[in-house]
Amino acid sequence: MDILQQLFNIFIFPGLLFLFVFALAAEFIDRRLYARFQNRMGPPWFQPLADFIKLLAKEDIIPQEADVATFKLMPVLALTATVTSFFYIPLWNEQALFSFNGDIIVVLYLLTIPTLTYFLGGWYSRSVYSMIGAVRSLTQLFAYEVPLFMSILASALLAGTWSLSGMAVFYNDHPWYWLFNLIGFATALVALLGKLEKVPFDIPEAETEIVAGSFTEYSGRMLALFRLSINVEMVVGASLLAAVFLPFSLDGNLVLGFAIYLFKVISIVAFIALARSIFARLRLDQMINLCWRFFAPIGFLQVLINLAIKGFFLK
Amino acid sequence: MPNKIRKLPDSGDVQVPIGPQHPSLKEPESFLLTLRGEKITAASVRLGYNHRGIEKACEERTYIQDLYLIERVCGICSHAHLTCFVQAVEEIAAIEVPKRAQYIRVVVGELERIHSHLLWLGVAGHEIGFDTLLMYSWRDREIVMDILADLAGNRVHYGVTTYGGVKRDITPEQIKDVLKAVDTLEERTKYYIELAKNEETIIKRLSGVGMLKHDDALRLGAVGPTARAGGVDRDTRRDDPYAAYPEMKFKVVIDDHADVYGRTLVRMGELMEAYSIIRQALTNMPEGVFRVRAPRRIPAGEATGRYEAPRGEDVHYVKSNGSDKPERVKIRAPTLANIQAVTHMLEDRYLADMPIVVAAIDPCFSCTDRLIGIKDLRTDKKQTLDWDNLRLSGIKWYQKRGVDFSRLNEKLKRSFK
Amino acid sequence: MTEEQIKQQIEHQFGYLKDAVVIKRARRLWLDVPMDKFEEVFVYLTEAMPLVRLLTITGMDEGTTFGIIYHLAAESGIILNLRIHIPRENPAIQSMTSKFSCADIYEREIKDLLGIQVLGLPEGRRYPLTDNWPDGEYPLRKDWKGLSTEKKGGTLNAQ
Repeated sequence: MDILQQLFNIFIFPGLLFLFVFALAAEFIDRRLYARFQNRMGPPWFQPLADFIKLLAKEDIIPQEADVATFKLMPVLALTATVTSFFYIPLWNEQALFSFNGDIIVVLYLLTIPTLTYFLGGWYSRSVYSMIGAVRSLTQLFAYEVPLFMSILASALLAGTWSLSGMAVFYNDHPWYWLFNLIGFATALVALLGKLEKVPFDIPEAETEIVAGSFTEYSGRMLALFRLSINVEMVVGASLLAAVFLPFSLDGNLVLGFAIYLFKVISIVAFIALARSIFARLRLDQMINLCWRFFAPIGFLQVLINLAIKGFFLK
Repeated sequence: MPNKIRKLPDSGDVQVPIGPQHPSLKEPESFLLTLRGEKITAASVRLGYNHRGIEKACEERTYIQDLYLIERVCGICSHAHLTCFVQAVEEIAAIEVPKRAQYIRVVVGELERIHSHLLWLGVAGHEIGFDTLLMYSWRDREIVMDILADLAGNRVHYGVTTYGGVKRDITPEQIKDVLKAVDTLEERTKYYIELAKNEETIIKRLSGVGMLKHDDALRLGAVGPTARAGGVDRDTRRDDPYAAYPEMKFKVVIDDHADVYGRTLVRMGELMEAYSIIRQALTNMPEGVFRVRAPRRIPAGEATGRYEAPRGEDVHYVKSNGSDKPERVKIRAPTLANIQAVTHMLEDRYLADMPIVVAAIDPCFSCTDRLIGIKDLRTDKKQTLDWDNLRLSGIKWYQKRGVDFSRLNEKLKRSFK
Repeated sequence: MTEEQIKQQIEHQFGYLKDAVVIKRARRLWLDVPMDKFEEVFVYLTEAMPLVRLLTITGMDEGTTFGIIYHLAAESGIILNLRIHIPRENPAIQSMTSKFSCADIYEREIKDLLGIQVLGLPEGRRYPLTDNWPDGEYPLRKDWKGLSTEKKGGTLNAQ
């Protein structure tokens, strides 16, 4: 019975199937809002699903010079990593599906894997645009990762635990402490834009320069998997930020908690759509400057603030 | 081999082909960039992919047919090319164009400039990854397209100018409509100017990019907004006036940024001037005929004409031999003058700047390439395929693979009987 | 400088150009020079006179000769069309890229379409014909009738 329960959790709810539906829904919301901000109609609700099915039906083309094994493996790896990290994030109650002390580090690293797969997949496509896109992905990774880690770890520092579920318990016991983390929240939102490669940080897949970056040579099922993993990453990233920085209403009844969880994630997705429609794409050097000179110090400031609070108030 | 990576020996440099087919290029042209990391160390350009043989084709057609052909040199500055050509022919034939026709030419010419600059603004937004600007400016562009369709009957190839005047008159109701549309557009343009001056990411991406200083602009022969953004005080409408421009009050918009940002400001400023010119032309439009008869045979002679197209100065040379066909037509589109500045502007910039630098001259490659070549060349055997044969061979190719529409065609034919 | 002043100065400078400068209308001057005198006239016009711009170069087939027109312009709006005629046998002109770097592409066009050699033209990719265009086919020459095609009623059809 326990195994059945776990299989249900992993594959149906809140595992793969739920995540799949939610990811497509998030893509729809993102695209629809983006379109409405731009004074367009936008796609109908089933468009992401239709796109996904269409891509599945298309022919897989692998470039002659590509490393076939790596090329094929990367989309699967990207999807697996993002889905796995989802199980460690508390969603609508205090307890995530799985948890142990230190899972916050695991989640952060699992969320780094997709970027690495973009790099490897692009690099082993051996196409000039893919390779430039791959190098850009990796360069960008080093820029946004530091502010993201700083701000999330600052929040964990305040809670005094390295487990996401533990953090949820702490913030539930101290309901207003999340307000201390607002600076970190803003930084993490910006870093999330970089992680998801959305405007103004969509440099690795800048269409007008390098066609589609790492994904230039991908087609068919593998492209579908990549796109799905980006959408899943969007949901997981938003859930992570929601769990870390907006940790309220986690102990109420399940229905209300679920509704509030959806609301939190959708708000973050809406923010992404808004950022996409009001900014122009930055250049790689500008992006790195911005992250290192501005957001990394802010993340560090958040760490200092939380240390001070811990020192004075939480003896 | 467009997609293969090419490493140059003994250096870390990589050659990246941009084009002939690439998302940042709206028309086929090929740029070959040598990159060191993200930096461009060398750039070269290969033109000619849009070569359609228009100059040669003009020699084989009558002047009346050429009217339609010349207009199709470009899909955006069609009025510019046509008017430039017609003015040269009128000069040879000594045709006195009625005042009213000249005013109408100015109105359509300035509307075309508005449509072109708004289009450019959208493309520039897209090239720097700011698609919202593209959607907004192209929505506003619809207003001017509708007005042009109302005045000329067409959205793109207006066909307004003809030998001895214009083909259509403007009615008082149309004047009212145009003035109303211009008011709306002016308000929108003010918003875009505000946006360009205040939006941080736009300024970041545009300023300091694609520098073309005053001296370089002169040396490389740049024209239009590209040169004017570098402080070059040059505008054919004022220097070599044609049509009704001598009677218009307008100022030549110049900027000293010398970069893509400056070019944006120049184009936005030109939009504001265009609104003022249209208002002047419509309110002061003289009464009278809008066309005089022009001879079918143009007397022998030659003329060089100039026209300030939205992208810069357009030069046409026409030589006639007394028959109804021109002896030689030469077209120098503004992009051809500007394209040589592009390689200069790209050097030592980042790869990310390449799309916007190219877009900033507002390139129109189909203007630039005009001449020969429709023939399919198969190595040494000079085999040719015309459209019908091409179609037939396409049908046969698919029939071999099981796609056959002949039965369906039969069925459709029967059902229509 | 007005059109009349330009005309007088040229005629004053070069005795053999007496009455060669024609003012066809306001801001339009035409000047034919012999081929061997072209360079000194060109240099004088662009350096000592205000004709600082090269608008374009037109090449054309005139039957027994080729005509090359250099459209020079002053900032004031005056255009001087400087024309030379070169023989049909082994036609060649001197490249003007050292004076006007923008001449490069105009000269390439003349070379490709009329088959006129341009001496001193820097290395570079051809323009505007395709790389596999056959040698000896120069489309803008009047005797060129297409590649194994014939003219029928104004359109080009396959044989």
